[in-house]
Amino acid sequence: MTGPHRGMTRPRLLLLALVGSLLVTLGACAPPAPQVSSAAAKAQVASPSAEAPYDIRPLLRPDRKYLGVAFNGSPRTTAPVTAFTEKAGKRPDLREYYAKWGDPFQADVNRAVWDDGQLPFLVWEPFSHTAAQIADGEQDTYIREFADAVRDYNRPLALSFGHEMNGGWYPWGSKKTSAADFARAWRHIHDLFTDEGAADVIWVWSPNVINPVPDVRLKPYYPGDAYVDWIGVVGYYALSGPTTFDTLFGPTLKEIRRFSRKPFLIAETGVQAGERKPAQIADLFAGVRARADMLGLVWFNLKKEADWRIDSGPLSLAAFKKAAADDSFGVDVRKP
Amino acid sequence: MEHNDSTMQISVAHLKKRSRVAETMQLRVLKQAPSGYTLSPVPDSGWSAAPSSRRIWVSRLVLLALLVIQAGLSLRLQNTAFEDEALYLFAGHAEIDHLLHGTPLYGAFDSYFSGAPVLYPVLAAAVDSVFGLAGARALSLACMLGCTSLLYAMTRRLFNERAGLCAAGVFAVAQSTAFMGNFATYDALALFLLGLAAWIVVRTADSHPLLTLLAAPVAALAVAVKYASALYLPTVVLLGVLTVYQRRGLPRALGRGVLLTVATVALLGAGLYASGYLAAIQSTTTARAAGTTPSWTIVKDSARWGGLAVAVALVGAFSYVRSGRMSEMPGWRGALPGARWRAALGLVLVGTALLAPAYQLHLHTEVSLHKHIGYGLFFAAPLAGVGVTRLMGAHFKYPQWAIFLGVVLLSSGMSQAYDNFHAWPDSRSLVATLRPYMSAHGTYLADTYEVPVYALGKDTSYRQWNSTYTIDYTNRSGQHLTGAAGFKAAVADRHFTLIVLDRGNPTGESTTVREALLHSTGYRLIGTVPYATAWGTSRFELWAPS
Repeated sequence: MTGPHRGMTRPRLLLLALVGSLLVTLGACAPPAPQVSSAAAKAQVASPSAEAPYDIRPLLRPDRKYLGVAFNGSPRTTAPVTAFTEKAGKRPDLREYYAKWGDPFQADVNRAVWDDGQLPFLVWEPFSHTAAQIADGEQDTYIREFADAVRDYNRPLALSFGHEMNGGWYPWGSKKTSAADFARAWRHIHDLFTDEGAADVIWVWSPNVINPVPDVRLKPYYPGDAYVDWIGVVGYYALSGPTTFDTLFGPTLKEIRRFSRKPFLIAETGVQAGERKPAQIADLFAGVRARADMLGLVWFNLKKEADWRIDSGPLSLAAFKKAAADDSFGVDVRKP
Repeated sequence: MEHNDSTMQISVAHLKKRSRVAETMQLRVLKQAPSGYTLSPVPDSGWSAAPSSRRIWVSRLVLLALLVIQAGLSLRLQNTAFEDEALYLFAGHAEIDHLLHGTPLYGAFDSYFSGAPVLYPVLAAAVDSVFGLAGARALSLACMLGCTSLLYAMTRRLFNERAGLCAAGVFAVAQSTAFMGNFATYDALALFLLGLAAWIVVRTADSHPLLTLLAAPVAALAVAVKYASALYLPTVVLLGVLTVYQRRGLPRALGRGVLLTVATVALLGAGLYASGYLAAIQSTTTARAAGTTPSWTIVKDSARWGGLAVAVALVGAFSYVRSGRMSEMPGWRGALPGARWRAALGLVLVGTALLAPAYQLHLHTEVSLHKHIGYGLFFAAPLAGVGVTRLMGAHFKYPQWAIFLGVVLLSSGMSQAYDNFHAWPDSRSLVATLRPYMSAHGTYLADTYEVPVYALGKDTSYRQWNSTYTIDYTNRSGQHLTGAAGFKAAVADRHFTLIVLDRGNPTGESTTVREALLHSTGYRLIGTVPYATAWGTSRFELWAPS
């Protein structure tokens, strides 16, 4: 054969080396780094059929008032709600429960609560870590995992971190935690939730009524309106102490209104068993009903230190049924 | 080999008795046998190098197979509209409404588009009106298939069919070809027009100079479709000069080059004067804002996306300079172009492949580099075709080279095209999420707002949307604000009905807007829409007044 092609000549060897080096280059070139990558983001699977994000805004200021309730134990079972509904004559629309810091968020439990017609209201109790530790980022992994689970749950959740922070009886309270650290921790948690895309949280800042702690100012504990949706005041009609809505809650609400216009929720309340209980139940509901900036109440239906349950006596139960029957109470949380 | 015509006549009847003939292949003059039959004259070779209809049809069938493969490689890429596609399509619809119904235009598209808004966008939007995004992308596929066909035709004329087919093969499987073939932007049409202009100058090298002038309007149109196409006009002119020079000498070659240049520049000048697009050309092309991409990244990605094909073209160029002979016919003695001409052709074609990477290195930006690589590849591909044929050797002596290169080019092209086509998120979830928030009076702000504007169609208007790049805002106290201050004021005033931020791809003042939202009491995060791209996962954030 004639022509320029004569087997493995020097140019061909050169060529071989050239192509070989190119292949090495091709193999060595890793794809560009991801634009954004986080463990949480990877957990989210993009799919056209994925659920649309739940817009909780209609729940923030519904036309009617919430009738919430707190029971003993996990909210996993619906039996207490059914029993309460039979006694109270009205189905609760908000269910408060307590979770310790370090517990995982249980999406299935909260989904069951939501599917049963109640807005889950989680009270997060930081027993194991201080507000300063949380604010300084020591618990970020846990918070992010918790937030991811809340985001993927994709249903409304009311969340209160470190309730009754102005009292001295909890580790996160005024005796062991500075107000600045508490507010800082709150903002840090909120920022991490936002960063993880957990948008369906109603942030409930929950001080105790100021009556037992008149020297503790609330404003330093307040993280700011950008970090709070509801102000959930905790206060009980006990045998001793204030006996009316105005005297029990009035001073606290007045002080809060000096630094925030956010709506109120009576985040935890009850009336201790006694002769005044039926009248005080009526007073409580009337007080909530009277204020346009009051979103509702959460009844602490437990026998703990005292009997706060609605059926502690027949007159109390009748008073509760009558008060709860008012049309202004009861929110259809799925069609607010 | 010693022979003459008379040796071609062999008495078959006597072959067995003359074993020496078989041993030595020496044929002798034999007497005409009284009985038996006579063979017709036998040519030097069992095949002919002359053009034949069989060769044409075999080549065309192979080309057709390549085009089918190319179409398959493009159509396998599936994703929702990229922001540029969405922008050109909704702008095209706006332009059509303006042209047909006099609807005022608000986008100032002519001030920042990198091609004339009244050309490709209008054409693509017209197709989109009937066939949707798939139709607009099919238009690009047709253009890219046309490019491959023109490339084959041009290479066949410059070299031969085999080089043409190899060039078409190298081009057809490249990531840029697959990508642009399913991507509704200017690129495919502009490259097709450039390819057509190049083919015209090569095809008409032997013809009357006025026929070469046919390339001028085509080349000018390519530049009008996409301004950056002008980068390749010198290549088209030089290609014309070289092909004419080979056949008609230097003076005529130069004359034709000048003629083509003058005609093209005159057409472009007239177009520029009539349209007033100079500012847009400056902002998007000639004086494009410099980026911050490291040079090494641009070099590395250029090598990944087009390096092997250009290397093969280099091999082809070197080999072609060493030997210009393309025929495998034994004893072929045709006229060959000179070594300097061959070197010049190699320099022009392979050098063109480096133009886009070099320009983007200068600008320190990788924007659209994966597409622009394809422009240069079109011009380098003929020599890549030569390279493959030379590596294979005559009569396919080393087919493993073609197989090896084919496998590497195909697999890398497929995976790179897939990655590049999935560099942006599938927007279906986002669009479905946004749809309920659309209202006639809404005002929206978004990263890559073009995608929802296009995808939401008649549910919204582009006039209701603001990008995160620029804002012209007058706050409640009458203060006129732009830039970051304008965005902050708009957030403070709760000006927008909905804000959509892309955490994975924040654009313009997106970070400023998000920072303002985080500390705002007027807005809240109302949801996120996760997405995955080839490079990772992220999510869109939806913010609305609280």
